[in-house]
Amino acid sequence: MAYLTLSNISKAFGGGLHEPVLAVKDFDMEIKKGELVSFLGPSGCGKTTTLRMVAGFEMPTTGVILIEGEDITSKLPNQRNVGMVFQSYALFPNMTVGDNIGFGLKIAKKPSEEVKQRVKEMLDLIHMAEYGNRYPYQLSGGQQQRVALARALALKPDVLLLDEPLSALDAKIRVSLRSEIRTIQKQLGITAIYVTHDQEEAMSISDRIVVMHEGKIEQIGTPFEIYNFPTTVFVANFVGTLNTANGEVADPATGLLSVDGVQFESATVLKDRKKGEKVRVAIRPERFNFVSQEKKANVLDCKIENINFLGSIVRIQVLIGNTKFYMDTFNNPLLELPKIGAVEQVTCSREAVLVLDE
Amino acid sequence: MNLSSRLRNIPFWSWLWFILGALYFILPLYATLDFSLRMERDIIGFKAYLSAFEDPDFLKTFGYSVSIAIVTILVSIILTIPTAYWVRLRLPEARRIVEFITLMPFVVPAIILVFGLIRIYSSPITIPFTDIVLIPPLTTFKFGTSILVVAGYMVLGLPYMYRSVDTGMRTVDVRTLTEAAQSLGANWYTIISQVILPNLRSALLSGALLTFAIVIGEVVLASFLGVPAFGPYLFLLGQHRAFEPAALTFTTFLMTWAAMGIIQLVTGGQGQATGAH
Repeated sequence: MAYLTLSNISKAFGGGLHEPVLAVKDFDMEIKKGELVSFLGPSGCGKTTTLRMVAGFEMPTTGVILIEGEDITSKLPNQRNVGMVFQSYALFPNMTVGDNIGFGLKIAKKPSEEVKQRVKEMLDLIHMAEYGNRYPYQLSGGQQQRVALARALALKPDVLLLDEPLSALDAKIRVSLRSEIRTIQKQLGITAIYVTHDQEEAMSISDRIVVMHEGKIEQIGTPFEIYNFPTTVFVANFVGTLNTANGEVADPATGLLSVDGVQFESATVLKDRKKGEKVRVAIRPERFNFVSQEKKANVLDCKIENINFLGSIVRIQVLIGNTKFYMDTFNNPLLELPKIGAVEQVTCSREAVLVLDE
Repeated sequence: MNLSSRLRNIPFWSWLWFILGALYFILPLYATLDFSLRMERDIIGFKAYLSAFEDPDFLKTFGYSVSIAIVTILVSIILTIPTAYWVRLRLPEARRIVEFITLMPFVVPAIILVFGLIRIYSSPITIPFTDIVLIPPLTTFKFGTSILVVAGYMVLGLPYMYRSVDTGMRTVDVRTLTEAAQSLGANWYTIISQVILPNLRSALLSGALLTFAIVIGEVVLASFLGVPAFGPYLFLLGQHRAFEPAALTFTTFLMTWAAMGIIQLVTGGQGQATGAH
């Protein structure tokens, strides 16, 4: 059963003398209670606009937003029980940490004892029990964002919205804080929407990911589905690194594809396609392996073009036929890497060969 | 590195320009102070100050200017804050126009402003095509003239007040703070009174003190509207007396310094408000 429903949401900006810009087009999805859904996409894809419509800061041009079946589309932001965490923390500089966390509770006219108790609970939750009397400027960025999270959670909101909450933090804190956010979200069982342009962040934190592009949903799926089975070229390219090449269907019945004369076997169902039909063939770099004793489906001759060390992995550029592909292997100092210019054989499973829509 | 070695490291030319600049500002002040203390021959004393403060016109004009300044500041705040807030929040495209309007007092001299006010408000303003008087001629009674004075001073102080408030709003990112407060259930009154205003305290104080300084020393508007203000009093005093104007000028300067000190005290801790990262 859907807890939060975004039904056919569109948002147009401008108008009047200028052509209206459609920031979000026909956004349609249902989110279950306790689920954490990430909106992932590049800048300007409409992810933040969609989030702001749920918060009530933007009014949809068309469509409705429901929480537990109740239409909240026309409600003002202060009438929706929706908590929000901002990229810039947005803590009130004139208030202490405790006052920031208790702000919403005081607005809701909760008894002062209850406010105190809840503030204490929240401070314990974010492991900042001794910071209640400090001011925001006395805290680090990570601490400020934890306070902002506690402030948003203090009111026990129906939905928690996080608008790129880690973007302003350095890499190490981002990693630790995102797992803390996920732990707290699971612990409280709160429904959350997380906006990010960082695919790794979305992968690590989400139950499901909505990949957006130019205001539209490209694909909705679990991190596993989004990464391993992207349905469009955009998703495949945006999430992780991907080899893509123009190819054509060689044999629809057996899933045989031809890329520049080299044949690839794919597990993708091609029965609906015609022989000779142009398609986009995609293979993740880590799905390639050098051929060992065990022979696999696609055994392909290649020439080693270049080798790049990227820390834990080594990215090797190979030439298969006349098409360049990348393959990733773990950086194992005990294993010898091929030499540049050497001719080798690589392989990948049939499942690794994807056929994408443009 | 201790202070003396730090001072030694400052280049000669920096010292030279610093000393020349300091002399440029300090010498005239010292001369004014020295002159104001020599009202009695061969005696250094405060007679000029006592004489100036004992003059009933001083108290009357200073009191009038202070009360007009306070009203001007209040009206300016009431008008400026919602305008700047709304422009930042909902009408960012109107920002340039509003900024242009607020800079007009730098371009249009006070003399033009005062003649405009006198010309329009010295006759009754009626509802168009009728004889029904909407506003009586404001220049014909004291309270009406004071309204014109406040309106004029508000215009003169607008560049300072608006810029202070607008800069303050930019510093604290009012848009996000407003949205954060809204998401926590706050209504407009709560947002303005508990979130926005407390964070604009130093900006408001800066704007208010600058407006105060303008009102206290202003001559043109007050003279042409014929109100008993401090600016024209000081001007007239300077034409008839020698030592008292110097004493009052120095006193005004001390008041300005005190005002600057208050700004420093109040805004001292706010520079850190952006947070440690």
